[in-house]
Amino acid sequence: MSERRPYTRPIDEDWWKKPPYLSYTARELSGIAVTIYGGVLFTGLFSLWRGPESYNAFLRFLQSPLSLLLNLLLLAVVVYHVVTWFQTLPKTMPKMIVDGKQVPAAKITQIATLAAGGSSLLLILLTMWVAR
Amino acid sequence: MEHFEADVLIIGAGGAGLRAAIAAAEADPSLTVALVSKVLPMRSHTVAAEGGAAGVTQAHDTLDNHFNDTVHGGDWLCEQDVVEFFVSRCTQEMVQLEHWGCPWSRKPDGNINVRAFGGMKIERTWFAADRSGFHILHTLFQTSTKYPSIKRFDEYFCVDLIVEDGRAQGATLLSLSTGEFTAISARSVVLATGGAGRVFRQNTNGGIVTGDGMALAFRHGVPLRDMEFVQYHPTCMPGTGLLFTEACRGEGGYLVNKDGYRYLQDYGLGPVSPEPRNKAMELGPRDRLSQAFWHEERKGRTVETPAGSVVYLDLRHLGKAKLKERLPLICELAEEFMGIDPADAPIPVRPAVHYTMGGIPTDIRTATPIPGLYAAGECSSVGIHGANRLGSNSLTELFVFGHVAGDEAVKFAKGAPAVNAGRNLEQAKASAAKALALRDQKGAGERHADLRKEMALTMEKGCGIYRIGSEMQETCDKLAELKRRFANVTIEDRSAAWNTDWVAALELGYQLDVAEAMAHSALERRESRGAHQRIDGFEARDDEHFLAHSLAHYREGASPEITYGPVKITKSKPGERAYGALGEALESKKEATHV
Amino acid sequence: MSEAATLTKTVELRILRYLPASDESPSFRSFQVPYSDDMSVLQALQTIKDTLDATLSFRWSCRMAVCGSCGMMINGEPRLACNTFLRNLPPGPVTVEALKNFPIERDLVVSVGDFVKKIESIYPYIIPKEPKTVAQGTYLQTPAQLAAYESFSDCINCMLCYAACPQFGENPDFIGPGAMALLQRYNGDSRDGGQQKRLDAIAGEDGVWSCTAVGICSEVCPKHVDPANAINQNKTNSAFDFFLHYLRKDAAQ
Repeated sequence: MSERRPYTRPIDEDWWKKPPYLSYTARELSGIAVTIYGGVLFTGLFSLWRGPESYNAFLRFLQSPLSLLLNLLLLAVVVYHVVTWFQTLPKTMPKMIVDGKQVPAAKITQIATLAAGGSSLLLILLTMWVAR
Repeated sequence: MEHFEADVLIIGAGGAGLRAAIAAAEADPSLTVALVSKVLPMRSHTVAAEGGAAGVTQAHDTLDNHFNDTVHGGDWLCEQDVVEFFVSRCTQEMVQLEHWGCPWSRKPDGNINVRAFGGMKIERTWFAADRSGFHILHTLFQTSTKYPSIKRFDEYFCVDLIVEDGRAQGATLLSLSTGEFTAISARSVVLATGGAGRVFRQNTNGGIVTGDGMALAFRHGVPLRDMEFVQYHPTCMPGTGLLFTEACRGEGGYLVNKDGYRYLQDYGLGPVSPEPRNKAMELGPRDRLSQAFWHEERKGRTVETPAGSVVYLDLRHLGKAKLKERLPLICELAEEFMGIDPADAPIPVRPAVHYTMGGIPTDIRTATPIPGLYAAGECSSVGIHGANRLGSNSLTELFVFGHVAGDEAVKFAKGAPAVNAGRNLEQAKASAAKALALRDQKGAGERHADLRKEMALTMEKGCGIYRIGSEMQETCDKLAELKRRFANVTIEDRSAAWNTDWVAALELGYQLDVAEAMAHSALERRESRGAHQRIDGFEARDDEHFLAHSLAHYREGASPEITYGPVKITKSKPGERAYGALGEALESKKEATHV
Repeated sequence: MSEAATLTKTVELRILRYLPASDESPSFRSFQVPYSDDMSVLQALQTIKDTLDATLSFRWSCRMAVCGSCGMMINGEPRLACNTFLRNLPPGPVTVEALKNFPIERDLVVSVGDFVKKIESIYPYIIPKEPKTVAQGTYLQTPAQLAAYESFSDCINCMLCYAACPQFGENPDFIGPGAMALLQRYNGDSRDGGQQKRLDAIAGEDGVWSCTAVGICSEVCPKHVDPANAINQNKTNSAFDFFLHYLRKDAAQ
């Protein structure tokens, strides 16, 4: 009879609450903010479809202090999500090889973040120009 | 006791063992190949080889060049027919590894790149950055999983060979995870257990490099050949002995003393040139470079550190980009272990024991004196390294002779009568009982860890870069004392599962036998040749008396007896071994007389 | 500081011990080890084994972070003991435990059999796209083609990534980061034609889809192999393969 008796340690149910996993948990949770943002836009679209009265009510809601606060909060969380998402990006795409050398992950994140920031800015400018 | 019957048994799963296993599996897929290793195969010490593997590749290079470099490098103690066979097989083995996926470094056009190495006239070292051994080992291990006939015994420690009816018929193994024994019977056996560098204090070797196979064969009456030739690698980390590959110098690194002076020019290795020059200066052979360090130390031109005196390996002029591309592991080692960025500061280095040139003697077909027993790799002495191995020949040796060993073991197995399973099992039980007796003996409280330290110290003192008769004698005496004290060892750990205390004691038993073979062979060789240099009246090479292989014969309860055997000389008559300007002059003179 | 004072400086190692012959479950034991500035955790363990308690078991060999033997949890993080230096750890006791998420065989030695089986399961060898004999010489592979898989070939099988992966902790059958890096090492090799076979091997629940992109596997990797990248690339490949599979079926009908 063998003396061998491997011991399996109990798994840690709370791993997601502890560093270094906390940043992962925060990244995943911040995805909820993106969903809520989507929900707000969808509500606007829905009220537009229901008619001008409904749409005006929606706009009034948007201008309320509560909504402004909510949007500010959502914006912050979504920005966090975007930033962390681009940090994860190099881990999800094929290796980029330029001149026979691998492009470093930090470079990919940097370029992608700048591109996202730039296009967001363009979009804002475009919206302001259209709405002027 | 569990009893497993195989056709071919291979002990050791580093480069040579894995190559042999694949060769055996390919030669006849119907045979069962048992592949035994005391660690997971990818932990084997081949993993730590850095620089690369030799194989004639460039159009302006020839097999003759590789032959001459190797025989000169070995100070004419090589078996020349074996060297000739070896150099003719190197490149095809490199190509085979490439087909199996080894990520060799490439030229921009996609062809294999080669780098310069010490003592080699023309660049012919294939490399995978500076992790060549690592990539080769993983490639071989992964490829070996393709063959269903290879049955692995990972983390099984070999306590004895089974020799029955005058031929090798298997081995007795200890399973590390259970502490239980397994007998393996086989019709042929290959030893591929690696070197024995851990018998010295400062060495580049992993903890597993304890000369197991050498000692196993030795105890069964196989004499160990040329054991006095132990290679000191000139550029190692002070203290730990970790290796900074010769490729550092192949890529253009300088060795400088405390004054920033490239001191090798004072030891017949000049002229100095800013660019690396083959077979000169930093690209001289390892024995000469380690000896030059010793002289610099005597002259007080080295730097004192708590881990001993050092010189500097200066890589700064190579620039960060090249260092990261060609020598990433070196950069990592220097940064993590020493806090030095080689692009900014020179690396302190000193020589450390690296390689055992000698080992289990085999013929050109890797057959040992025991029928059915083959040996390949560092544990063997097939005869290509002579008195000093050239860097990048040992990796290639693993594949050339691992391949041969696998083929030959299959041939022998197919022609051999069935094993005597009953008798084999009896032998295995006796060997197991002996190993258990060591674990459970009362002893006299002697700790094997202390004996190991004392062994390593006395080997360094008596069998170092330069040797003196009286000091070697002291080492021999000390080893005899340690063997006596070994009988009094008390092992603290009496348990079965993962008893590393016990295994380390078994390994020490092997090490003491191998160390004795080294020290006595060294004492008896009254000349200086290659890595064996004496400064007690035997400073010159003496071809008249010592152009011969030493053979250390095991004697139970006594020190080994040393005899000598002939060296096979075919086309290269012993001549002056010179490097640098003198070497070039001698060579052009020789070429002129040939015309 | 005087020399004597340097020599008497010690460090405490709290080590999780487990001896299957006598212990029901693992428990911590402390050792005081003489400290020096250049000492690695591995050297501290060796000092314990050689001078204080020979029954302590751990795997080690190369001492230079390339053989992959000495992975363990050091102060709660998966590390190689040989290249973790005491001087770089915060002052106070150093906690050493067997690699997380693996069964403990004894002390700091964990079971490795399942990991090896996972490596073997993904066809870890070249399945040549165009077979060639040795006499025909080497394949051409440009530095760019080499770079496409080179980093994945640097994996030393130390299993730190498995210890860091919470999904592997929850599901020991998950193929895991290391084996996926190896898979991508071959799938990304210009000489290889075995991609389909390997994708089939990892398509199931215990394959790529157990990964939730936590990404810590890449952070703890001592060789910067980036196994997270290997897994996530293969999620894409596996998804494409899933749909292509239907297209192929349609085409076949």
